[in-house]
Amino acid sequence: MELLEPDILLQLLIGGLLAGMLYALLACGLNLVFGVMRVINLAHAELMLVGAFGAYVLFTVFGLHPLLSLLIIVPLLFIAGYYLQSVLIERVVGRPMLTSLLATYGVSIILINVGLLLFSADFKSIPALQGSFLIGEFSVSMPRATAGAISLLLTVGVYLFLERSRLGKAIRAVSEHAQVAAICGIDVRKIRMLTFGMAAAMAGAAGVMLSVIYSFWPGSGVDFIQKCFAIIIIGGMGNFLGAFYGGILLGVVEAFVGGFASSQWAEAVAYLLLVTVLLIRPTGLKGAARV
Amino acid sequence: MNRRYLLSSLLSVVLAFIVFPAATHAKDIVVGTSVALTGKYARTGQEQLQGFQMWVDEINARGGLLGQQVKLVHYDDESKPETGAKLYEKLITDDKVDLLIGPYSSDVTMAASTVVEKHNFPMVSSGASASEIWERGYKNTFGLYTLAELYMDQILEFGKSKGLKKIALVYENTAFPRGVASGVKTKAKQLGMQIVFEEEYGKASTDFSSMIIKIKAKKVDMVIGGSYLPDSTAFMRQAKENRLYVKIFAFAVGPGLPDFGQNLGLDAEGVMGNTQWEPTLKLPGAKEFGEKYKAKYGHEPGYHAGGGYGAGYVLEAAVKNAGSTDRDKVRAALFALDTVNAFGRFKVDATGKQIGKPAYAVQWLGGERHVVFPTDAATAKVAYPFKDWGKR
Repeated sequence: MELLEPDILLQLLIGGLLAGMLYALLACGLNLVFGVMRVINLAHAELMLVGAFGAYVLFTVFGLHPLLSLLIIVPLLFIAGYYLQSVLIERVVGRPMLTSLLATYGVSIILINVGLLLFSADFKSIPALQGSFLIGEFSVSMPRATAGAISLLLTVGVYLFLERSRLGKAIRAVSEHAQVAAICGIDVRKIRMLTFGMAAAMAGAAGVMLSVIYSFWPGSGVDFIQKCFAIIIIGGMGNFLGAFYGGILLGVVEAFVGGFASSQWAEAVAYLLLVTVLLIRPTGLKGAARV
Repeated sequence: MNRRYLLSSLLSVVLAFIVFPAATHAKDIVVGTSVALTGKYARTGQEQLQGFQMWVDEINARGGLLGQQVKLVHYDDESKPETGAKLYEKLITDDKVDLLIGPYSSDVTMAASTVVEKHNFPMVSSGASASEIWERGYKNTFGLYTLAELYMDQILEFGKSKGLKKIALVYENTAFPRGVASGVKTKAKQLGMQIVFEEEYGKASTDFSSMIIKIKAKKVDMVIGGSYLPDSTAFMRQAKENRLYVKIFAFAVGPGLPDFGQNLGLDAEGVMGNTQWEPTLKLPGAKEFGEKYKAKYGHEPGYHAGGGYGAGYVLEAAVKNAGSTDRDKVRAALFALDTVNAFGRFKVDATGKQIGKPAYAVQWLGGERHVVFPTDAATAKVAYPFKDWGKR
């Protein structure tokens, strides 16, 4: 069977890893918010689409290359996330789970409909970074490789920030025990605003990356948010590294299932993985809630 | 302001809304439709609606249908068959429309046709071509489109004439793409060509890279896609990324739309596809419609817009022949109708299936969409083979 030839396997692996890195960037942001404030942000994928449409507007109106637009969109989404937290999400932190679910679901509905009003329901894509380059025998997709590399860079960057910096330690402290953190003199409210800003910025960056790979419309979020949920449960709810591993795992497994079975199965595999992990290790690969 | 006053004024406002619209439009002929304005079929659904809207405007300017003004009631089915079915139920029972135009896409039409059959209400279906729709013994769905099964015939014959043998066939897992695929399988068998790779994919699929890697390993001559716009665009982009090279790329729907060229730019060059209609065809009123549409909406109409417009004319001819909007008379008139309008010939068999309209093949050449088959309708000579990605 020609599918078992090593170069095809390697080609599938490359595709899977690249897709996985983008998943990881998106899911890590979602998990960061959950870890710090136990809020599941249902609008996370819509924040990603804000980034994608932002890149689209910057490209079509100003001719700005998507990679350059990252420099504008990431800070803007950080600010948007920061204030979204202070105005809205802050009010539902610590309340019953349903309250925050409803609040973020509301945000997602508003964003989708604003998107439909501004951009209609057409599929958009950005014709930049097209084609591929060759590494030996293997063709590597240019947009995917770029997206993968930038996603990896950002995810690792945020991870190091959380591990090494004083502020990062404060974020982890709030995640572990908000009350104790407050007693130790950490401004818990400010930390939560920072966290949400960071998560929104990561989502925005993922959106810019998405815009060069896929076509998207204001309703595209649902496919991604569902996969993200699967990823954070597979990796461990609230665990930053867990979401990273979960994302990479899903990307690779999807590519291989798509290669050996069919792309229809590849779409279902996130949920099959989810059920398997829940049966074997209910807290996820890396265990729940540790940022 | 006391509570009672507030209540009664509220009530009167509500009542006014209920009573007045009905009263002012009592004499209009109301035509109902639901098309996708959001979701996967949004682009094409909107085109269809705009085409139909142009017929509504024209007939009202011409003095109306049977001397009455035509009013259009339309909803958004979100590209979902289940929503479409609900909306047709609503149009018939709630809005009490006089005439019905079908939704866009074969799978939404599948659902809607069951509803109209239940109410025994004839529906002129503009946006559907899967023959499955007409194989259930229904008597109320009248198709305008050339059948999906015939879409790829001319392209396959052309491939055969160039000595091509191995075909990769990929398609979405819904009614219309499956119809295209089953037509390709039948025709390929007839021509002695082999389908060496076949795969279905889900409606939300955006990632075809695993599929393309497999196709590459099979070393095929042509790739045929039973697709819509987003998937055919994504497939071509990823084919380029993975350097998949074959002699012919042909897709349903996507290449027939201007967006295909806009989204892909130069990568669209040489891709073949189908069209139900082009403004360049020698049909009465086609050119004028193309010009008027462009003046109004700012772009050339694709065949989806043409279909919407043609559906209006079919409905008009049938109602005129029937002399009223009575459901039974309109149904009989539609079965008997054999007419040519700006969209082409309309003639159906005893199931309501379209048998009068031929298929056309298009190709993207020099950044424009050209009809290449049949040769008597062609606006450009077919380019062959598909240029290798490295040599563009």
